[in-house]
Amino acid sequence: MNFTLSDDHIALRDSARGFLEKEVDLAPLLVPGATVEQAGYGPLWTKAAGLGWPGMVVPEAYGGLGMDYLDLIMVIGEAGRTLASMPLFGTLAGSWAIEAGGDETQKAELLGTVAAGEAKLALAVADANGSYEPGAAEVKAARDGDGYRLTGTRAFVVDAASADRLVVAAELDGARRWFVVDAAAAQIERLDWRDITREVCSVRLEGAAATLLAGDADAVWPFVRDRLYLVLAAESAAGIEAVLADAIGYANERVAFGRPIGAFQAIKHQLAEIAGQSECANVGVQYAAWALSAGDETAPLAAAMAQSYASEAYRAATHRNIQIFGAIGFTWEMKNHLFYKRARCNAELLGAPSRQREDVVRILERKAA
Amino acid sequence: MDFTFPADDDPRRIEIRAWFEANPDPSGKQIADRGLAAANWPEPWGLGADPEMMLIIESEFERAGVVMPSLHNPIAVNQCGQSLLAWGTDAQRQELLPDALSGKSQWCMLFSEPAGGSDLGALRTTARREGDHYVINGQKIWNSGADRSQIGVVIARTDPAAPKHKGLTQFIVDMNAPGITVRPIIDMTGEDNEYNEVFFEEVRVPVTRRLGEEGDGWRITMEQLQTERQSMTKPGAVWGMGPTARDLMDGLIKTGRIADPLIRDEAARLYIEGELLRLISFRHLSNKINGKPAGLEGNAGKMVASPHGQALTDLAKRSQGVAGMVYGKDVLPLPDKHFGLFDNWDYAYWFSPATTLGVGTQEILKNTIAERVLGLPRDSDPTARMPFNEIGRASPKAA
Repeated sequence: MNFTLSDDHIALRDSARGFLEKEVDLAPLLVPGATVEQAGYGPLWTKAAGLGWPGMVVPEAYGGLGMDYLDLIMVIGEAGRTLASMPLFGTLAGSWAIEAGGDETQKAELLGTVAAGEAKLALAVADANGSYEPGAAEVKAARDGDGYRLTGTRAFVVDAASADRLVVAAELDGARRWFVVDAAAAQIERLDWRDITREVCSVRLEGAAATLLAGDADAVWPFVRDRLYLVLAAESAAGIEAVLADAIGYANERVAFGRPIGAFQAIKHQLAEIAGQSECANVGVQYAAWALSAGDETAPLAAAMAQSYASEAYRAATHRNIQIFGAIGFTWEMKNHLFYKRARCNAELLGAPSRQREDVVRILERKAA
Repeated sequence: MDFTFPADDDPRRIEIRAWFEANPDPSGKQIADRGLAAANWPEPWGLGADPEMMLIIESEFERAGVVMPSLHNPIAVNQCGQSLLAWGTDAQRQELLPDALSGKSQWCMLFSEPAGGSDLGALRTTARREGDHYVINGQKIWNSGADRSQIGVVIARTDPAAPKHKGLTQFIVDMNAPGITVRPIIDMTGEDNEYNEVFFEEVRVPVTRRLGEEGDGWRITMEQLQTERQSMTKPGAVWGMGPTARDLMDGLIKTGRIADPLIRDEAARLYIEGELLRLISFRHLSNKINGKPAGLEGNAGKMVASPHGQALTDLAKRSQGVAGMVYGKDVLPLPDKHFGLFDNWDYAYWFSPATTLGVGTQEILKNTIAERVLGLPRDSDPTARMPFNEIGRASPKAA
């Protein structure tokens, strides 16, 4: 029984924090009209790749660092805290799809280039309605000699415009399979996504040449989804800490009626509540990271719980954060809205918190049956 | 990080289990003599058990179907008896702790007053020194179990000329001392009373029953309340004990009521929050195992746990609909285990308003967290620095 971060975890977190606090500059985004193009996606990634971040959780056998998910959330948390803009989410998502669905040769080749910082990935699963389940709008795969060709559209593909390769869910012989496509073969368009710290795109494929991932296709989405829940939840939990700290700082400085506004219970009680939710989000994320690392049977439950709770608490915290700053917090020049938008988008990207709660109940119903 | 718990074949567990097998129905004295009443205390009182050993002991008590002394007699074992280790004299420990641990003497806390609840430092009960004794006068209220206690821990004002938090001192009194009157309070549940008022009229307490020095009372009291709050950071609906969201979810699934969409999402939300509270209690435990000092985190835990319990019992009630409005009627099943007082949803629900009042109201807790954890400015208390006996004589603004 040990639920305390190790010195190694803390050192990893501190080094990621030091790096990102130095490198991340939100100023270009605080100019009205700014878009994700001003976020500095590419330059930051080059430096992060130098630290080995693309291959953090890629198994050592495929050229990665083979770290576990607790290590990963030390870095993800700092990226969330600073709103660091870089194609980490897409690269992780694509890598996990390959890890779960590729054969040994594919894993060695594809994950090796990721770990070496030579290839960025994105994972294309959702349809235009935001559904991640196979449906009428599924991309269609057709055989073409030894290979395949994909036709159709995918939406809400994170980091697609930065990616070198896309992992795409598509229908072959009536079942969902997973394919790798060169990004150059796809028409990729950045969406006018509200969270301008993250690049989210639509992807059009018109007979794009594709390689089939040869492993167990059914295993892919559950494996990837649980890990992406963890990524978003870790971003959210650290984001809560960031907006709480900002709001505390402001409440201590801003004076009204002759006292710092943080002296008033209307303000301090809100901050206390956020602190309580922050603690809950934090333990939920760390437990999910442990469960995924240990391959514990509770991992899917833990991941759904972490994402549901943390994303909702992040929304509440970013809302309170703007209210505590007052009207100044409602302006584009302040960074409050960047967190607010990240929180809101995190709570929708992989399905709403109520969706994950439904997953939780279903898991418990199955267990009780 | 590691969530494996001490296994069935852990030698420490085998030893405790063997003792319970040899003593299937142990008396309080047997439990205390074996060091199991407060195993985390140092010898000779306890076993100097670390938190992991405490987990083993707790689960072996449960397995043997024996209620832990810390549940029977929490003030003696947990909140206040423990204070004697740090603040008491050797003579006090020898006199009081054996009976506290064996359960021969029940203890109660005598802190709150009609004029000093949330503002505990405004308490008016006095203790004046007369030779080898203090003489106590005043009134206490909301004293759990005072009617069945042999020992009371009372905080009283020994220096009325000092500022309100400075002139306070704790005493350990015999509840049968002349001049003490205990009057039960019937709370809104209508069940056997839990709370009491306690009146002190010229009650003489020997100086040897003073805990710490004069003026230490506030610090000792805060330590005791901190211990109590941390112990309440658990997923149980009432003070961290009693049925949990797991039990609610089980009941809703068994009765099929989980299919109701108006119940389902909320049940999931509470289930998740309950699991997170469980994790927070593991975090506290783990920090203890790792020798990290206990901070104020128990406050945040209780701040989340109390409304969680209220929402939990509310949903249990709501899922029963109108049938749940009948006294003692429980439509929703609970597993067959020991929940102490709160062994049914009905009582847990009607009791639940108390949980955001006891051990500091929810608002006081939020103040404590905001000021002492988050570093926000203190609430203004115009009386905080005045001599206590001048409060109310002139308006604070004039003073």
